[in-house]
Amino acid sequence: MYRTAANRLLYGASLINNSGGGHLLRFPILRTVISSSRFSTTVDPQTFPNQDPGPSDSSTTSSATSSSTSSTAGDGPRHERKNPRAEYEEEQARVLQASLRHVIRLGWSEEAIIAGAKEAGVSPSIVGSFPRKEAAIVEFFMDDCLQRLIDRIDSGEELQNLIPSQCISKLVRIRLEMQAPNISKWPQALSIQAHPLNVSTSFKQRAMLVDEIWHAAGDGASDVDCYVKRTILGGIYSTTEIYMLTDSSSEFRDTWLFLDDRVKDAFDLKKTVQEAKYLAEAVGAGMGSSLQGFVSRVLQR
Amino acid sequence: MVGKVFSKVASNYDLMNDLMSAGLHRLWKDRLVSKLSPFPGMKHLDVAGGTGDVAFRILESISSIRRRALQDPVNDGLQEETQIYVCDINPNMLNVGKKHAIERGLGEDKSLTWVEGDAEALSFGDNSMDGYTIAFGIRNVTHIEKVLAEAYRVLKRGGRFLCLELSHVEIPVFKELYDFYSFSVIPPLGELVAGDRESYQYLVESIRQFPPQEKFASMIADAGFQKVEYENLVGGVVAIHSGLKI
Repeated sequence: MYRTAANRLLYGASLINNSGGGHLLRFPILRTVISSSRFSTTVDPQTFPNQDPGPSDSSTTSSATSSSTSSTAGDGPRHERKNPRAEYEEEQARVLQASLRHVIRLGWSEEAIIAGAKEAGVSPSIVGSFPRKEAAIVEFFMDDCLQRLIDRIDSGEELQNLIPSQCISKLVRIRLEMQAPNISKWPQALSIQAHPLNVSTSFKQRAMLVDEIWHAAGDGASDVDCYVKRTILGGIYSTTEIYMLTDSSSEFRDTWLFLDDRVKDAFDLKKTVQEAKYLAEAVGAGMGSSLQGFVSRVLQR
Repeated sequence: MVGKVFSKVASNYDLMNDLMSAGLHRLWKDRLVSKLSPFPGMKHLDVAGGTGDVAFRILESISSIRRRALQDPVNDGLQEETQIYVCDINPNMLNVGKKHAIERGLGEDKSLTWVEGDAEALSFGDNSMDGYTIAFGIRNVTHIEKVLAEAYRVLKRGGRFLCLELSHVEIPVFKELYDFYSFSVIPPLGELVAGDRESYQYLVESIRQFPPQEKFASMIADAGFQKVEYENLVGGVVAIHSGLKI
């Protein structure tokens, strides 16, 4: 429960009005690494507020979970609350996991989810319960890759002895290699992520990814600089990702060369920016004194 | 009472629907079917679906998906497996539905089966349906809990329950307008078009008797469904409730 509350604080709820004035409450769920080992972006409906007559809750809630959480008497096994709630989310996650194997053949689409559902032994009707169907499978894949990257980071000793630029290069490479099997369908995934309805979730997922990579590279700064760094890394990641789409060299050699160049450029840029700052200060100091002399002479006349 | 009402209104049912909702009922049913996301090879049960509106929409949706899925050889054989059952307690409504099917060119379609039956005691096996819809029917049953329990029984794991029904409006000014429309316009309209004021009086009163959205959602959850949600259309005049069986 605290997880949901924390997520609500961090990411907020979005109330969406459907055509004709309907409303569905949607929580973009991004469970943090600290408290769970699985990422998921499935919808988590509000528990039915029979016991809690909060005005904002009851007017916006439009969903309920199974009976053990909605009994008006307030009796019944409260400790079971998590289990029935988690059940359908687990099923959905299982279906999406199975669907990933069909993506290469069927693309990031409803058909892939239907095939996945059949494999998981669940009725394909479950595809209707995903609010944004193709986006669900793409987002699940992104979360899954992020989780695998974190696992690699946690277990990998290979990152200890690398300087930051090499570390970042290696991590981005590890992450992009996870997309290699589905690369022929990846442009479709990118276009799904760019869809207005899905942009906010995909942006958050990428922000988390970039954050994770910087963290692993040893930068835990929380000053203003960190936003600049993350933006630059986000840019490097995206351009490399797109370069990879058209790369036909064996094992994406050209992509990794491209990546290394970009990372080098970014670190060089940092040095260049610093040098430019010193230069500007020096010039300013020099110019300032001569300008002052000139102005005082003018005023004396 | 319900039996008599529907025997009398059967022939004018669709016309009255069009007049009362100003044609909007078509959009509502479209929305219901799009929420269902039908797929080829689906076994679907439409309860109280007498005149077949929802069933036709599902069939047409599947045939259009099929054209897209023609790329995938695995699915080709599945089109024949699609089965839509239309169940209604009233044979007159079913006959009207069969007529409509013939008019739409679906008369010979083996996917469509018309079954006379009671929503509270369905003749279908456990875990046999991928989808269950009930459009504007659950208001008229005697025991809503039994219908929900039966729906839960016949659905497979992963199957979805969808209910389209007239519901409660809470928006201040709109509520008064809606009440005026319901009680002062609809019964005289019924008198004029169908020659039957009482049935339509019964209709608007039964809407008020039906539980509001939240209560109905909790009843669905009590039957065992998970991820129970509802969507209000036209400010609450109509609501689509959905649930997932896991």
